[in-house]
Amino acid sequence: MSNRRSRQSSSALRISDDQMIDLVSQLSQLLPEIRERRRSDKVSASKVLEETCNYIRKLHREVDNLSERLSQLLDSVDEDSHEASVIRSLLM
Amino acid sequence: MQPTSTMNEEFLKKWQMGLQMFRPSIDNASVSERKRAIKLSADVAMASLRKGTTCWSRALIQKTATEDNFLVRQMLSGIKEETLINKKLPKVMCHRKIVRRSKKILMRRKSRSAMEEVAAKAKKLVKRKTQGLRNVVPGGEFMSNNVLLIQETLDYIVSLQTQVNVMRSIVDAAEAGIER
Repeated sequence: MSNRRSRQSSSALRISDDQMIDLVSQLSQLLPEIRERRRSDKVSASKVLEETCNYIRKLHREVDNLSERLSQLLDSVDEDSHEASVIRSLLM
Repeated sequence: MQPTSTMNEEFLKKWQMGLQMFRPSIDNASVSERKRAIKLSADVAMASLRKGTTCWSRALIQKTATEDNFLVRQMLSGIKEETLINKKLPKVMCHRKIVRRSKKILMRRKSRSAMEEVAAKAKKLVKRKTQGLRNVVPGGEFMSNNVLLIQETLDYIVSLQTQVNVMRSIVDAAEAGIER
């Protein structure tokens, strides 16, 4: 009985392995680091996953940085100035 | 898979709407308060693009709601996502432990060839990296299924790219407008 169970679980693993391979390759297409490499270079799944984490963290930092810059911009302009109205029309 | 111009436009509209809600206080706020408002509205705008269809977007909305419940309710008012704020995300973490334990038992019973050893090591490495992914994707801790995790990650990245692209365009344009 344990044989049947182990056979079933390993076939379940195999199906999701194929799906995983496909998904991981989709991920690698999104990552600028990996997309820019030569097609012949093979990248391991764990490398793709690692690069994905790094990329997401990089995007988070960019959002943070852009929010900071925007906040500074709004601070640096005079409320009644022409520049302030430029920003306001862009944002609000 | 890339951010579309529709996504860009929708994000911008929703983000602007969120910022308008801060309008009265935005002039008197400190730089860090304003930054927080900008960032939170951007996150809600990004998450609401998915209209509650993905795990990460629901988790992000819930997380933002704990930081500023009023803002989230205002931005999502009229959309059914509002009900998602109170919805409890299912906790499936315990399942992973059970699966891991039974896999260990199965592994012990099999005799392992060298090939199997290598495959097992590779799987372990992948497991560690997917755990890293769970830490950066909102709601990742609830995605015990690796296939789901990667599907969510793909969508999350495209959404993040939208957010970054639009924000960057606005900030660049604003900076250029001021320098003149």
